[in-house]
Formats: sequence, C-alpha cells, structure tokens
Amino acid sequence: MLAVEYFEVECPEPVGAEYYKQITNDVLLDHNLLKVIDKLHVYIDPKVPVFIAVGILKPITTVVRVGDIANINPQEGKMTLVITDETYLAAMLRVFWERFGKDRVEQPDRFTVILYNVTEPASEIENLVIGHPGESLNKDLIYAFRCVAPEGFRLRSERFEPGKFSFVASENTLVEGIDELVKAKFALMGETP
Amino acid sequence: MTLVPVTYKGGIYQHDIVIDLIEDLGGYIVQKHVLAQEVVLQCFVPKDDIELIREISRPIFGEVTDSPLVGTEIAIVSMSLEIHHLPHPSCDIAEYARRIGAKTNMVSLARGPGKRITGLNDEERDVINEHDIAVYLMGNFEACIEHKMPILLRGIEVPVVVCGGPDKETLVRIIDPPVEGYVGGVGRFMRRTKEADQLDKLDEIIAEITRVLEKKREDLAKDPLSVSPARLMNLIRERVPAILEVTSPTPLTVQMAGLRVKLPYDTFAPELRRMEIEDGITLGDIAEVVPSRMRDYIIVRVLPFSETNIVI
Repeated sequence: MLAVEYFEVECPEPVGAEYYKQITNDVLLDHNLLKVIDKLHVYIDPKVPVFIAVGILKPITTVVRVGDIANINPQEGKMTLVITDETYLAAMLRVFWERFGKDRVEQPDRFTVILYNVTEPASEIENLVIGHPGESLNKDLIYAFRCVAPEGFRLRSERFEPGKFSFVASENTLVEGIDELVKAKFALMGETP
Repeated sequence: MTLVPVTYKGGIYQHDIVIDLIEDLGGYIVQKHVLAQEVVLQCFVPKDDIELIREISRPIFGEVTDSPLVGTEIAIVSMSLEIHHLPHPSCDIAEYARRIGAKTNMVSLARGPGKRITGLNDEERDVINEHDIAVYLMGNFEACIEHKMPILLRGIEVPVVVCGGPDKETLVRIIDPPVEGYVGGVGRFMRRTKEADQLDKLDEIIAEITRVLEKKREDLAKDPLSVSPARLMNLIRERVPAILEVTSPTPLTVQMAGLRVKLPYDTFAPELRRMEIEDGITLGDIAEVVPSRMRDYIIVRVLPFSETNIVI
C-alpha cells in the first residue's frame, strides 16, 4: 500500500472494516489500479445499507508507444517486430493498418508482426502512440469497485471526473442526502468533491 | 463389523492386490481415481483390518490414512456464483473438503446476496436437504448474517455449519435458530488460500464438519440402517448395468444414509425398486426410491431397522 497516500475503510463493525480493507487492497492490486490511486476512503454501513468509495487519482500522462511493447528489427525491405506484451497488440495493429494498409502488415504468429516496404526509420515506428491507459481507467475503476462492494448492493451512482471519483452503491434506493455523505467522506481526506 | 472410512494412496503397480484385499475383508470401494502413476481409493474397511491393509500395502509403497468425510455428500452453499464469492472462498473450501474424501456440490442461491432481497426458494431448499450436511458461506458483516440466517435456514432439515467473517462467539450469539457448527473468521475474501494461517482456517472448517458428521453418525448408529449404502452401491453397480455407461465422475454417490443414483428417475426407478438384495428382499422393501431435485437423478433413502425390521 506504499503508493497510496491515504487509505481508510470506515465501518460501524470494526471486524468488517478490517476484512473490507483487505478485499479493497486485493481487488485493486489484482486490477493493477493501486498505482493510479492517490487517496481512497471507503465507507460501508451494512445497517443502512450503503457502500461509498471516494478517491483522488494520480494524473496519468503516460502514453504507450510501439517501442514499449515490441522490439524492432529492421531488415532489407521489411521490419520485424517481436512483441513482448500483448495488451496493446490489437491497438498497435489497428494503427499500422491505418498508416500502412493491411497488405503491408503481416502477423505470422502471436508474437511477431512484419511490416513490408516501410520507408520510415525504425525510431519513428518506435515512437508511434498506440494506447492511452487513462482512457479505460474509469471503466476499470467501476468494475473494481463493483467487485469490492457487497454483492447485493446493485443500485449504484458513480461520478468520475478527471482526478477524482465517487462510487455509491446500495441495496435500497439511494436516499436524497447521499451527496452530503459523499462530501463528508471527501472532507475526511482533506478534499472537496 | 464396524466399517471406517479411509483413503488409500499408492502407485498404480499391483494396486489390484489392495482392491482385492479390501473386497475380501468385506470393505467397499466408494471411489477410485487413477491419476497418471498414482491411485487414490476412497473406501470403507473393517476397523480391525486397517493394520493388515497397511502391512500388505507397505511393500508396494501404499499409504492408508483416515478420511472421516469419505461416503458423505456435502452441500457448499454459496450466496451466488458471482466473482464476489468465486473462486475464493467457495471453491477453495469445496476443493479442500473434496481432497479428504467428501463429495461436495456447490449450491448457489438465486437470491443469496443482499440483506432485504435475500431468499431461499423451494428448489434450493430441497437440493440442500438431499445432502448430509450444508456448509453456509456467509459474508463479513454481523448485521447481514443476523438478518439473513433465519431466512436461509427456513425448511432446512440437514445439519448446518456456518462460516462467516465475525468470530465464532459472535456467530453463536447472532444466529437464530442455532445451527450445529460455527466457524468464525472465514467471510468473503478475494485471495487464494495458500498461506499457513489460511490453510489452518480451512482445517478448522473440516474439523467442524467432521465433528457435526460424527454426531450424525452416532445418531444413525442408534437405529442402524437396513443396509449399508456402500454395499447398496456395489449391488447397483452389479445389477443395473446402465450405471456403467454414465460418464459423471461419481455415477453412484454414497451418502451417510442413502445413495444418489445418476440415472433418469422415470426409466430406472421401478427397476431399482424391484432389484433383489438378498433372500427375496428387494430394494423397495428397505429403502425409499424418490426423484431428486438435482437434474432427473434418483435418491435412494435407506430406511432404518426400526421401520423395516430388516438388517442385511
């Protein structure tokens, strides 16, 4: 939990809070999301029942380039790319198809892509941007918090803005004053919604 | 002759010697797994002859261990089949119980999650009641467990062990009506059970299940069954050849007081009822043959001596 500046789970049942801290940690770790969260406050009251997660996100400025996921080997008339990480492979192929056309891009096997008759230098290909990890972040966070929240809590209200988010879930209809509660939880972290 | 449940583990070479020996001694093999070069036999053997089996299997490097859960069918009741409960902890617990000989079925409830919306329908209730014991895997909050348990226990007649996040004392205090077994500190978690303390918890669950089942065994012994389910299993295997065609891992599942026969009820129930066991006594005389709520299987419930006046 070193990467997260503030991480608290608040619950009227201390044992439950402890378990949910562990669950939140495990889920965010599994989904590789701990590194993007700066502050996180989770509030659960099984008696109401309500689950609130509010957090501050770290700015994501990095982009994924071809060089990050492939080693390029320029040869006569063609360029062979050896893929090291498949996560952005589909996105990379799409960029190549648009730029060079499908007839000049070939993928003989899972970890190899060959570009034919490419005039650009290898360094330029390496710098091509193929993905923005921040784009799917909100979707990933919603999925992760759906896993963290107790399963019966199916009525949800999420608010995701650049840099901060709130996730509210309950089994019953959300009460009107819920925004005040969310604001109070942000205040505990020294932030405003 | 008292039969005790044991597991035999050994190499595939000459393992038929052990099978013959167990059968000659009057024991029954409930399940046989052949895994590459290894054989695992789950069986009932006469208590006095365990040492003899150990003696004979020593030269072929066989190992005999006590497995109190052999010959039992356990319902692991999970609140749902969502990622919240699977694969941890539901599968971990089910798999751990299976490792020491139990036959576990996972029963997932349609309206298990939540507090207000929770419910148990008649099919779920009947399926759970077909087992020897039900292990309820609850969540982490006292308030939820307290509210849900009376609803989830409605109509359940088999012994129940409840696992939940709060400690054992709290579970004992909040669960009403009381159940037979409690294991605290095992609620919902999202990680694999592989650390020593987590494995200790799984052992604690097994110990609790064993304790509850031992009590049930003692109760059964007071009014013995008309025929041993393991013996019945062997007879059905001999006399109803269709069972050999069933591809399920356990076509005949032995329970403490009965048997699950994985054949269609309408086609095979009359044949089973007519099946002669010994001296003109048919299965219909000493057991109830009823349809199972699980697929179209058959449940054979062996009647006690007090009802049939027969023990064979």
